Amino acid sequence: MANGIIKVDSLVKEYDSLRAVDGISFEVYEGEVFAFLGPNGAGKTTTVEILECIRPLTGGSAKVCGYDVSKESDVKEIKKRIGVLPQDFNALEKLSVKENISLIGDMYDKHLSASEVIKLLDLEDKANAKFDSLSGGLKQRVGVAAALVSDPQLVFLDEPTTGLDPKARRDVWAVIANLKKLGKTVFLTTHYMEEAQVLADRIAIIDRGKIVALGSSQELISTYGGLKLLVIRKGPKDLADTLQAKFGQVTVNKDGDIHVKVDDVDELWRIMDILTTMRLGSDVELQTPTIEDVFLKITGTRITDEGDLT
Amino acid sequence: MRAITVFKAVTKNWLRSRAGLFFSIMFPILLLVVFGAIFSGVGGSSRYGLFVQNQDVTAEGSPTELSSAFVTALNSTGTFSLTEVPVGENATDYARQQLGPLGGSMRILIISEGFQDDLINGTMKVRVGICFDTLNMSYQYFEPYMNDTQKSMLEDGLTQMQQLNSSLPDAYASLTIMLDSADQSAGVVQSIVASVANAFNYELIGAGNVITFTQTSVSNTQFRTIDFYIPGITAAFIMTNGIIGLTSTNTEFKRRGIIKRLSLTPLTKMDWVVGCILSQTLLNIILSFIMIGVGWIVFNVRVIPDALTILLIFLGSVMFSGIGMIFSGVIKDIEAANAIGNAVAFPMMFLSGTYFPLEIMPSYLQSVSKVLPLTYFSEGLKATMITKFADGIVFNMAVVAVLAVVFILIGVKVTRWREK
Ligand SMILES: Nc1ncnc2c1ncn2[C@@H]1O[C@H](COP(=O)(O)OP(=O)(O)OP(=O)(O)O)[C@@H](O)[C@H]1O
Ligand SMILES: [Mg+2]
Repeated sequence: MANGIIKVDSLVKEYDSLRAVDGISFEVYEGEVFAFLGPNGAGKTTTVEILECIRPLTGGSAKVCGYDVSKESDVKEIKKRIGVLPQDFNALEKLSVKENISLIGDMYDKHLSASEVIKLLDLEDKANAKFDSLSGGLKQRVGVAAALVSDPQLVFLDEPTTGLDPKARRDVWAVIANLKKLGKTVFLTTHYMEEAQVLADRIAIIDRGKIVALGSSQELISTYGGLKLLVIRKGPKDLADTLQAKFGQVTVNKDGDIHVKVDDVDELWRIMDILTTMRLGSDVELQTPTIEDVFLKITGTRITDEGDLT
Repeated sequence: MRAITVFKAVTKNWLRSRAGLFFSIMFPILLLVVFGAIFSGVGGSSRYGLFVQNQDVTAEGSPTELSSAFVTALNSTGTFSLTEVPVGENATDYARQQLGPLGGSMRILIISEGFQDDLINGTMKVRVGICFDTLNMSYQYFEPYMNDTQKSMLEDGLTQMQQLNSSLPDAYASLTIMLDSADQSAGVVQSIVASVANAFNYELIGAGNVITFTQTSVSNTQFRTIDFYIPGITAAFIMTNGIIGLTSTNTEFKRRGIIKRLSLTPLTKMDWVVGCILSQTLLNIILSFIMIGVGWIVFNVRVIPDALTILLIFLGSVMFSGIGMIFSGVIKDIEAANAIGNAVAFPMMFLSGTYFPLEIMPSYLQSVSKVLPLTYFSEGLKATMITKFADGIVFNMAVVAVLAVVFILIGVKVTRWREK
């Protein structure tokens, strides 16, 4: 069993009357990419900021790199060992990429040179560009570079790709995949299902302050996602009703596609029977479920691209 | 030294920001030039405009000797810029026409016809009166010792003098001054004209040398208003740079998450606050030197900054940056930061004797000024730069130093290095 670099036990955070984090427990193992997946307001940032020692907890306990986040003398040790990309990262706008990264680096006794991390993140062309002249994707990459300049064991990335276009998002994904190769432990938060599925070794699904599922994407899918997903493109409305009455687990998306969750092979053949009898003209497709289906199964909702629940 | 790293980064960021440069350096200098011009009279603008109509002319139409001497006397005070209104014109209409559509203050002095005659008669009457009194007193005093011939000669003389005096008309030279009640300088103009007239009177009746005034300054070098203005306005802008400038920069840093990003590193809150304050202080020292430089070149001021001046500028910067750190610690957004900064800075600027002396303010405002930190900073700078009064330097510098320490400590206390 790998070592736990983060150990969280019954963690609670209350803002006045709101319980933003509601008694969660989990461990993050050394060397893995761990994703916190949840919609806006689920409590992701609150949790990571408690682990980063910039937010006090209300109850429970949390240890990072073996140090207690609520002990004043341990905070220094934790801060030395972690690198952070905060949500909505920003830097001094009139300083260059290199100057900003050096500024963060100089806060640590031991750190990599700014040029090294700039090279690592493929930012050489932009090393002397002013931070405020960069695109959103490049700014995020500078943020990741700043998180790495102290050569930390553990890296927190809070929504590293929110607001980026698909190309920039994939670039950041490549960077994160590379971190794992470098042997870093990565704690990632996101509301993008695909991001968690592609990058994370293990995913914790968090909803209204509670962890509702935790495991590798394979485990989650086989536990919650069902066997397969049958998609009937632009199927007739009465078909959806019939299937819903017989099998349940039917949804219709905004394009009019019918999604039927299939839990075992037997069920699949019975559904196919109905379709054959109907001599259905629509395209039929069999899909492997995704984390999105897992999320839907557990919470009964989906997360939009903006991170809100449908 | 992480504070030094912060200092360098924040300073560099500031130096490259045009808005920052404008508001912290260019704007103060612009104001210095504008206000300095008003106070120093560069370009002649500090003279009071005055229209003079001399109606006392000879038969040939030229002004009489004494009336023109009076105009020359007014001119030689150096306070007026005189415009002559030709005899025969309606002075008010003429002045209005000359001032043009933009107006300006209408001040008219009319020297009435017969000014010279009246002045001569009046003066003679006074002088004869004095002679009569003098002779009369000697007569009373020495009467018992005089023989009859002496007595009757004196009595004849006294009678003749009395006759002469009553033959002189009871007229007095007449000056009319017309001022606009909305004119803020009316009082000053009136009293200067009156004192010129008095000097004229005394001169004519020969009493001018009874009391003589020698004007000397309380300090050994003669300073002008503009000289005092330089330390005053420098202090005021160091105050606004701290209370408005630093507050809004740091509130913006907070909003953009810069402070949060740094708090995620081993940097301590104290190092952050010290770095920001050092940066602000460097900026203020640059500003002060430019201000003094502009003062030297443009206004020929005689301000001499020394090591104590630099020390005091340092302490003053720290003090006001401390207030800036306190404000940015407790204020949420930049709009509120600007509003509160302005609401505190501007009244303080006016109530601390920067633009006009404390002495002319009502006494309750004077007591308010005694609790404002800018008062001590600005008085201290005046002392180190100009008067060099040791007491003023020591006292004000001590107050500023104590407040600087207090504000920094509160600033560190309220700066949030952790979320709620
Ligand atoms: N300082 C605060 N005071 C009061 N409530 C807060 C505070 N910060 C967060 N919250 C609330 O706590 C809940 C969790 O917020 P948190 O920022 O942790 O969510 P998140 O999962 O990071 O969401 P997002 O995708 O929006 O970043 C939300 O309902 C939020 O409104
Ligand atoms: Mg968040």
